[in-house]
Amino acid sequence: MEIHRYEKIWLAGALLLIVGFIATVSYGAVGAGIEMINDEGGQVDSTALDEHPKFSEPGTYKTGPNEYDVYVIAKQFLYEPGTSEPIRVPANSRVTFHVTSADVIHGYEIVGTNANTMAVPGQVSTMTVEFNEPRKYGLLCNEYCGSAHHAMEGSIQVVPQSEWNETMVVN
Amino acid sequence: MPAESNTETGEVATPAGDGTGETGTPVPDTESIDDEGFVIGSGRSGVVRQLGHDDFDPVGTLVLIAIYMVIVGAMWIFMYFVEFLGGDLTVIG
Repeated sequence: MEIHRYEKIWLAGALLLIVGFIATVSYGAVGAGIEMINDEGGQVDSTALDEHPKFSEPGTYKTGPNEYDVYVIAKQFLYEPGTSEPIRVPANSRVTFHVTSADVIHGYEIVGTNANTMAVPGQVSTMTVEFNEPRKYGLLCNEYCGSAHHAMEGSIQVVPQSEWNETMVVN
Repeated sequence: MPAESNTETGEVATPAGDGTGETGTPVPDTESIDDEGFVIGSGRSGVVRQLGHDDFDPVGTLVLIAIYMVIVGAMWIFMYFVEFLGGDLTVIG
């Protein structure tokens, strides 16, 4: 088959684009350390979260120097904690969120950032992020979850290290 | 273009009149192309201009595709390296 020389050029260009896309995503996973959220969080009984050792009292738990676990329950139409009072974490810390749902599928998106996961009933989604500067982040649900989905939001307060105290550990 | 040939109505003109080759395909006669007309509503049935495979030279299409490739590549670099990797709170575990 005879291929026109221009067609060879743009076939090569298209192949280069595909290889480039795959290479950049591979770089993100290997070089930049971007992780995908998977099923490592394990499963829970969504009807018995109050019997769970952590989800029975969701909030921030210290797990090491500058390392914290935050357990969050999403339910129609709030985050617990997050909506009635902000999730509090100290600045310059490494925080792992454990998010699950008590009823239907919700979203858990830290607004304007790359931190975003689904909250699935019966499944725990875990994601680790690093908070640097003290500031406030918004939280929102990005999976349609019912009539008040649009009002389902919350916030994360990154507290300066100097103001952080142990009473903030469990909200 | 007006029909100005002396062919009869309904008759399709060929560039060279009797110019058919041994295989029955019309043979281009470059000298007579401009002189011969054709019946309105019909196309020229003969080969008007013979192009080799690589003589077809759509340089405008090549330039358009090159511009498109540059735009797609630049958008990809911006979206991935600036907007995504440069974004706040990237999931690292």
